[in-house]
Amino acid sequence: MLTAFFRAFRTPDLRRKIFFTVAIMALFRLGSYIPTPGVDYAAVRRCVDLASNSSSSGLYELVNLFSGGALLQLSIFALGIMPYITASIIIQLLTVVIPRFEALKEEGQSGTAKLTQYTRYLTIGLAVLQSTTFVAISRQQGGLFTNCTETLIPNDDLFTLGVMVLTMTAGTGFIMWLGELVTEKGIGNGMSLLIFTSIASAFPGSLWSIKTQRGFNTFFIVIGLGLLIMAAVIFVEQSQRRIPVQYAKRQVGRRAYGGTTTYIPIKVNMAGVIPVIFASSLLYLPALIAQFQGQNSTAGWVVWIRDNLVKGDHPIYIALYFALILFFTYFYVAITFNPDEVAENMKKYGGFIPGIRAGRPTADYLEYVLSRITLAGALYLGMVALIPLIALILVDANQNFPFGGTSILIVVGVGLETVKQIESQLQQRHYEGFLR
Amino acid sequence: MSVLRLSLQVLLVITSLILTLLILLHKGRGGGLSDMFGGGMSSSMGSSGVAERNLNRFTIAIGVTWAVVIVLLNLIYRFFPDAF
Repeated sequence: MLTAFFRAFRTPDLRRKIFFTVAIMALFRLGSYIPTPGVDYAAVRRCVDLASNSSSSGLYELVNLFSGGALLQLSIFALGIMPYITASIIIQLLTVVIPRFEALKEEGQSGTAKLTQYTRYLTIGLAVLQSTTFVAISRQQGGLFTNCTETLIPNDDLFTLGVMVLTMTAGTGFIMWLGELVTEKGIGNGMSLLIFTSIASAFPGSLWSIKTQRGFNTFFIVIGLGLLIMAAVIFVEQSQRRIPVQYAKRQVGRRAYGGTTTYIPIKVNMAGVIPVIFASSLLYLPALIAQFQGQNSTAGWVVWIRDNLVKGDHPIYIALYFALILFFTYFYVAITFNPDEVAENMKKYGGFIPGIRAGRPTADYLEYVLSRITLAGALYLGMVALIPLIALILVDANQNFPFGGTSILIVVGVGLETVKQIESQLQQRHYEGFLR
Repeated sequence: MSVLRLSLQVLLVITSLILTLLILLHKGRGGGLSDMFGGGMSSSMGSSGVAERNLNRFTIAIGVTWAVVIVLLNLIYRFFPDAF
């Protein structure tokens, strides 16, 4: 394992890629600390300190998690990659609804490139929208931090606010470009690595706050538990059902083709972390809308949302979260894996599953296996996502318990993916990788 | 000080707009969320032609200017609080 690690650094082009990726990540983190011009940074710091001490969970927890704490500091990268994620989700959902998008998706490479381009335009649009609302919220006293009465933006004439909105929008675009650069010239997928960076950057701080609040014993217990959960998550992520496929032997000219046995790997968690991201983004919307109505609005539905959907440990919230995760897991698997297509392809190349006839019965069988294994996957995703909530109730921990839920799934998922990519690059030279 | 601040702000507006535009001109790589988690090595190394390379150079130049302007503005705000 360690020798493979060193070998990765001894391979010149791989080393260059890794360093490039690390440099981009560092740049991304650095930008998260530069405040947007027009913000009273000292006041923001005081408010952040106040908020982290009182341990009251604000509305912006999730988004703040995705932006690595940049949001609450009102930095130039405040919006992080959230607009890009939202835009991707929207485009992804639209491919099901709009026939033109579906046609583009089926077109292959050029169609996908066009869809990506649409996603990028939508990202900038969403960035303008979000930064405007965000600046508007933080302009009011106590808008961003509920119990902090400092004035965050001292000069709120329209020009200064406009400059802030433009800067944040450009920052979001810049992050998008950084991510694309990593995808192109570095290792792994840029976007997911940037999410990884922001989430992982929150770990040390929240761990340390556990130590200061509860002492070393709890600290080590939490770390041990976290490692245990991580191992379990990796175990499930790696597990798959292998459906055997037999290929008929064919003679073409003087060469014999086929006659091999392979398998179709069907992962237990085929959807990855996307359902969790979708579900938490959706659940965050009502809270955001309620926030726009102002702090002391007494309209019935606003109060209801504030009571039931904002606090992460409310039963209704938990139930909704779980149900949404189940739904999105099935939805995403349905989008990405098409049993009919797989069965058709197998038939074309003379493959069959032993004991099952080619064509329609094969598709039915795949469908059957898939829907059953996805149930396990969906339940697993829901359970892992609920870990922080359970921990919250059991040990009365802070709501942003570092190991659990969305963050651990994303960190492990992205980490595994990146390591696999490094390994496949390594195998171009040597046959021994990280994972045995 | 407020003249300097105003000119920097105008510069910031211009660079922000150009930066956003330049970034949108780039060809998107890595098709969104679909291959975000579990896409594998699908991204081919695609030819980045001369145009794309020049675009990269421009973007970096504008990006650096943008960052410098932001830092300068922040310094002004930090050390001349009455400039707000």
